[in-house]
Amino acid sequence: MDFVLQQLLTGLSIGSILLLVALGLAIIYGTMGVINMAHGEFLMLGAYGAWALKAFFGLGLLESLVIIFIGVAALGYLVERGVIQFLYKRPLDTILATWGIGVILQQSARLLAGGELRYVEMPSILIGQVNIFGVSVAGYRVFIFAFVAAMFAITWFLFYRTSFGMKLRAVVQDQSMASCFGINAKRIYSLTFAYGAGLAGLAGALVAPLKSVSPEMGTTYVVDAFFVVVLGGAQSLFGTVASATLLGEMNGVLAYWYNDTIAKALVLLAIVVLIRFRPQGLFSTRIRS
Amino acid sequence: MALPSKSGLPISRQTLIQLIVYGLVCLAIFIFPFILDNDFLLNRYARYLVLAMVAMALSLSWGYAGILNLGQAMAFGLGSYCMAMALKLRTVPVHTGAGGLPDFMVWNNVESLPWFWVPFYNMPFAIIAGIGVPVAVSFLLGWFMFKGRITGVYVAIITLAALVVANLLIIDAQSVTGGFNGITDLAQLELFGFTFDAYSKSTYFLVAGCLTVSLFVALMVTKSKAGLVLQAVRDHEDRVRFFGYDVASFKVLAFCVSAGIAGLAGMLYTVVLEFASPTFLDVSLSLSIVIWVAVGGRQSLLGAALGAILVAGTQSSLQENEFFLDTWMLIMGALFVLVVLFLPNGLASLVDIIGRALKRGRGPAQRSTSSPAQTSEPAEANVSKQGAE
Amino acid sequence: MSGHLQITDLTVDFGGFTAVKDLGLTINKGELRCLIGPNGAGKTTTLDLICGKTKPTRGSIKYDGKELASLEEYKIARAGVGRKFQIPSVFKQLTVYENLEVANCKNTGVFANLFRPGHSSHRDGLEKLAEFVGLADQLDLPAAYLSHGQTQWLEIALLLARDSELILLDEPTAGMTAQETHKTAEICNRLKGKHTIVVVEHDMGFVREICDVISVMHQGQLLAEGTADEISADPQVREVYLGSMGIGDA
Repeated sequence: MDFVLQQLLTGLSIGSILLLVALGLAIIYGTMGVINMAHGEFLMLGAYGAWALKAFFGLGLLESLVIIFIGVAALGYLVERGVIQFLYKRPLDTILATWGIGVILQQSARLLAGGELRYVEMPSILIGQVNIFGVSVAGYRVFIFAFVAAMFAITWFLFYRTSFGMKLRAVVQDQSMASCFGINAKRIYSLTFAYGAGLAGLAGALVAPLKSVSPEMGTTYVVDAFFVVVLGGAQSLFGTVASATLLGEMNGVLAYWYNDTIAKALVLLAIVVLIRFRPQGLFSTRIRS
Repeated sequence: MALPSKSGLPISRQTLIQLIVYGLVCLAIFIFPFILDNDFLLNRYARYLVLAMVAMALSLSWGYAGILNLGQAMAFGLGSYCMAMALKLRTVPVHTGAGGLPDFMVWNNVESLPWFWVPFYNMPFAIIAGIGVPVAVSFLLGWFMFKGRITGVYVAIITLAALVVANLLIIDAQSVTGGFNGITDLAQLELFGFTFDAYSKSTYFLVAGCLTVSLFVALMVTKSKAGLVLQAVRDHEDRVRFFGYDVASFKVLAFCVSAGIAGLAGMLYTVVLEFASPTFLDVSLSLSIVIWVAVGGRQSLLGAALGAILVAGTQSSLQENEFFLDTWMLIMGALFVLVVLFLPNGLASLVDIIGRALKRGRGPAQRSTSSPAQTSEPAEANVSKQGAE
Repeated sequence: MSGHLQITDLTVDFGGFTAVKDLGLTINKGELRCLIGPNGAGKTTTLDLICGKTKPTRGSIKYDGKELASLEEYKIARAGVGRKFQIPSVFKQLTVYENLEVANCKNTGVFANLFRPGHSSHRDGLEKLAEFVGLADQLDLPAAYLSHGQTQWLEIALLLARDSELILLDEPTAGMTAQETHKTAEICNRLKGKHTIVVVEHDMGFVREICDVISVMHQGQLLAEGTADEISADPQVREVYLGSMGIGDA
């Protein structure tokens, strides 16, 4: 029993990190149809932000989060204004352009911070183990889980319970109609992109203590996050949660049966098959076109 | 635009000009070694020509059929491994004995040669496999995707995922593939009595020949009726279907021809670099191919090929300079963003733009001056959005 | 009784919403049939069902003795069914001539087309077609530059190039000027007899100009069928659709 629970929790932990990384991507893809290949680099910048704030200003991880969110969001805003806004009518080209931006960001980080690995300390109050139904789990992972849940709740509230969210959903439905009703669609898009980027920055800062920080760290996360978004279906926040959990659990279970590599390959194959048969994602409903 | 002449000539004037330009470029590639007599540099240029081949193959599927294959490196890598396996088996019965077992297998305690290695003793088989395996894999993948009407972004994601899977599997099966290290210490390719030393004119000419042949094969495909249908598919897939064409078959065709050329390029890459490695089918190479094609011009085979030579060539020459060693990637990223923003059809479209500007300067203004690709963008975006729902 | 195009008990369900219900239609060879009805009556869906864009929940569509309901779109097209869409659908990056060339195809197989040049020898025939719809001067212009009306005509010409015997036209005059509408009517009248045509339209003037028999649909079902005069006199039709205006002044 303990063993099953252990597996379940490992899966949940992987899933919560996946969700953390994928949430920003899902928002950007779901609302503007932009596949943001620079998402991994936004994440990487968040991680470097955590490292730099500690190294130069002595700020701990938790205190840094707000600054990191604002900083990366501001950068996201600039990227949207400078590049993305010209490409809304060419969705495939956004893949290319954002990838180019990712390359620039990655190399900038390498030039500014050096190529060597950096490490971010875990906040000391979160270092211990927590006992859940007889299974001991790293406190930091529990914290991430709670943090992700909170971020998700905030995002949901923002989208479905505020006037900003309502305008955003109107723009997503029909941009020109929304504009006719006096909604500034451009501004909505810029802010949404910035918010998604900010979330990526937060994700980077939070995963930094689990692994080392390097200019390339974003690439591994972004591919996984992508699959979460596609699997969940672009239009649904809850779909993203469900698919992150599902992928996390699948990864956990398969990694136990086989090795990590084969587990990853099998998960990818499963995703390919799912996209083939349900390109609209697992968790969205078909509408009459 | 295309004016099929009524004067009895079987091809249009535009096609004729295109043939001449393609011919001249290929000729220049062949003359090159007589001007530059440096085996080290020739090896490097042979490498660029190989990359040009794989870029040209992507232009065929992406630019002409609208299939953005982010996993182009998969076909390339599979081809390179086929060639590497054959060349590995040709090395003198290797260091440790045990029936000529490749060294890395001995290190991994493999007792006998795996069954799928055995046929690679036969060079013709290996060459056929180097093209056939990528084509077969692409056929299955293409059939799987296109019969299910998967389009646009989803094709990009599926091909990317397939590439990652292939890469993971090859790295994981270390005992039979060499894992991270790949397959190294290879024999030289011998064919028709020639020995192809990687650092010699012979290899350069082999690559140049293959590039020329595949360039013209691809050109023929685009000039055929099937090529026209593919361009129609790129524009408006459903409409083509309602004319009675089985769209999936046409897309599979483009996907497979592209994979075959990429496989051939992969084999040559092994010959030129003298090893095969999992980096030949990793995500970053695959995305680089996309960049070359985008920079050169996705809707021009020659443009894509020259784009690869230009970008890859600039990259390695700039990286020799200490200043650019670090900033190269910055320049590349910026260049790429600029091209996507301002020249969606790549540098090749500059030729059209300049040509039109000259015409306008000389004679009465032409009716159409802007690129049709741009005017039709909104409609296309609409279509793909609907498809995505 | 069985016509050239015989639709019986045709029904399609979209997750609880029945767009077309137990529809029966019989259309003879060479006939031009107009399909009218208020928005949401299922007219476009009916065309979708015939050409295979939508698969019926049940019912049968027999064309020239062949059951279409279960076939894939491209096979239906090969059987001789051509469709013009409500939103004009042509290949914008190709020239008018290339558009016609794509549509004109006796053999639609992959390999047959791989070894065939993109610009074939029957240019004369295609030029005549372009002339027929008034696009002779635009042959080498990319379709993206055509006006709305010209795009509609090009799409009709594509169906003719394809040599479709049964032609389905979905609101061919939507967004056209009075002059363009008149020209479209002319084209339709010239095709009558040689092709079997089904037209979905709202413009009653246009319908009067081209039609022999009109079928009126309402809420997915056939409401009435008859000549323009019979239809405009039908009290049921007046109630659901035409209002008090009657055909001709709409």
